[in-house]
Amino acid sequence: MNESRGLRKAIIPYIYVTPAFLLILLLIAYPIVTSIQLSFQDSTTSHFTIANYQYFLTNKIQLFNIGYTLFVSIATVLLSLILGFILALYIRFNQNKISKAVVALTVLPQFIPGLVAVYSFMMVVRNGGVLSRIALKFGIQYNPNMLYAAKGLISMNLWFNIPFATLLLLASLSSIKDASIESARDIGAKKMTLLKDIILPSTYKQIFIAGAFVFMSNVGAFTTPFLMGANNPQMLGVVLYREFNENMNYNQAAALSVILFLLCSLSAVVYIIVNMRKEKWR
Amino acid sequence: MSRRKFILNFSILFIFTFFMYGPLLNTIMLAFATQYQAPHIIPSAFGFTWWKNVFSQGDLLQAFFNSFLIAILATIVSMIICLPAAYAIARYEFKGRSWFLFSFLLSNAFPKIGLYTAIGIIFYKLQLMGTLTGVVLINVLNTMIFMIWIPIGAFQNVYKQQEEAARDVGAGPIRTFFKITFPSALPAIIVAAMYTFLGALDESQGTLLVGFPQIKTMATSMYGIILDQSPMVGAIFAILLIVPAILILWICYKFLGKKSILQQLFVK
Repeated sequence: MNESRGLRKAIIPYIYVTPAFLLILLLIAYPIVTSIQLSFQDSTTSHFTIANYQYFLTNKIQLFNIGYTLFVSIATVLLSLILGFILALYIRFNQNKISKAVVALTVLPQFIPGLVAVYSFMMVVRNGGVLSRIALKFGIQYNPNMLYAAKGLISMNLWFNIPFATLLLLASLSSIKDASIESARDIGAKKMTLLKDIILPSTYKQIFIAGAFVFMSNVGAFTTPFLMGANNPQMLGVVLYREFNENMNYNQAAALSVILFLLCSLSAVVYIIVNMRKEKWR
Repeated sequence: MSRRKFILNFSILFIFTFFMYGPLLNTIMLAFATQYQAPHIIPSAFGFTWWKNVFSQGDLLQAFFNSFLIAILATIVSMIICLPAAYAIARYEFKGRSWFLFSFLLSNAFPKIGLYTAIGIIFYKLQLMGTLTGVVLINVLNTMIFMIWIPIGAFQNVYKQQEEAARDVGAGPIRTFFKITFPSALPAIIVAAMYTFLGALDESQGTLLVGFPQIKTMATSMYGIILDQSPMVGAIFAILLIVPAILILWICYKFLGKKSILQQLFVK
């Protein structure tokens, strides 16, 4: 009697997690296993083949697409980290009404639907859009040529990622005590020394983590490149969508998803390495 | 503040605001324009003509309706599936607990478009392509992180002594849950529900991949509108998508204050 009651109690948590876990099995585990399987199959004979991967890794256009995706993502990571870091430093070390306003203004964009942001940005930067019209007011013929070019994609990505990077870095900058900065200043440390010896060592982890997140969300980007990107070269997210929706080549689509997963796992590796290193810098 | 410093502060604020908010403000202005020809920066005529145009397009109205239906369904299903799991993880010590938690957060570790294509291949097999069920499932998966993560924290903060006191005076486990545990965690659950609702309302990639063209939402209609309708139609849809977001942000702010909103941001 008592034993069966104990058993029932032990089972209860498993019953509670079962529905959610089944959903994960159905919508993550099963699709991913199937994708990996399909990616190694020929589309007509279903025999084992590595041709689907070969296609993406040898075809000139596809190689160019992979390179382009990495270029846009890495440029986005570097620029949003640099600008986010500068903005976070500014907010941390200038405590006044204006810097507080900047913090408040960083939060809101996170809640703006992505498509609304892309649409609004396009209206401003398209040729003949707001920027062109403002230039014309000053008598200058100006076309930003931002749409269908890497610079447009990167600027849009910065819109999405600077606030995120700033808030994440600001959190770690806030943990630096004013006292330690002041005492370093008292013994004559210059601004660069402060940055190198106090600020960077205590924030570098967060910098890498923010970078990993930004990289991951941009390697697999779809909406921005679909609307703002060119037809050649294309970001991998768009290539994948076309492969799946227009060419209906599921084996190649599966191979490309696996390639995307692998590229994304690069940032997971960075994340894990950074978290494992225990304050070696200090 | 010295003059130089003031100018520096002000120019940072100006550049940042112009870059982040200029486009949005421009969109809000365009939504109420009737004439927007080059070279005018500010539309030469304002009015509601385009609003009438949008509300007379049947498929756009349908998209509006679909968006809210899917968001409501996704929120309800998500609560039914995720809340018990969150409760178990918050309140029970059991083997594999951290692995279950890890698996629930897994969907955010993959590039979304890759995962959606993989799911799409399965949905073809299961004949869920282009169905409401399929779209709702995608949205539940997408927002799972809110409905697991936020309630776990809330359930952990309910005082055990209070529950034990209720049990001591003779309340059963179910009654204790609904009289003590659930009400204490309710504010956080409401916030989680709002995030889920908002996430589902904004979701476009998964719905486009799995539901299009049978199921159109406001968000997926935006793709077509941006590519081939007048700028004003896009601006009106943008407003229809922003307003719920702002409302929900404001309500969360009232409920929990600024700090908790900032914390939730990193869950994304």
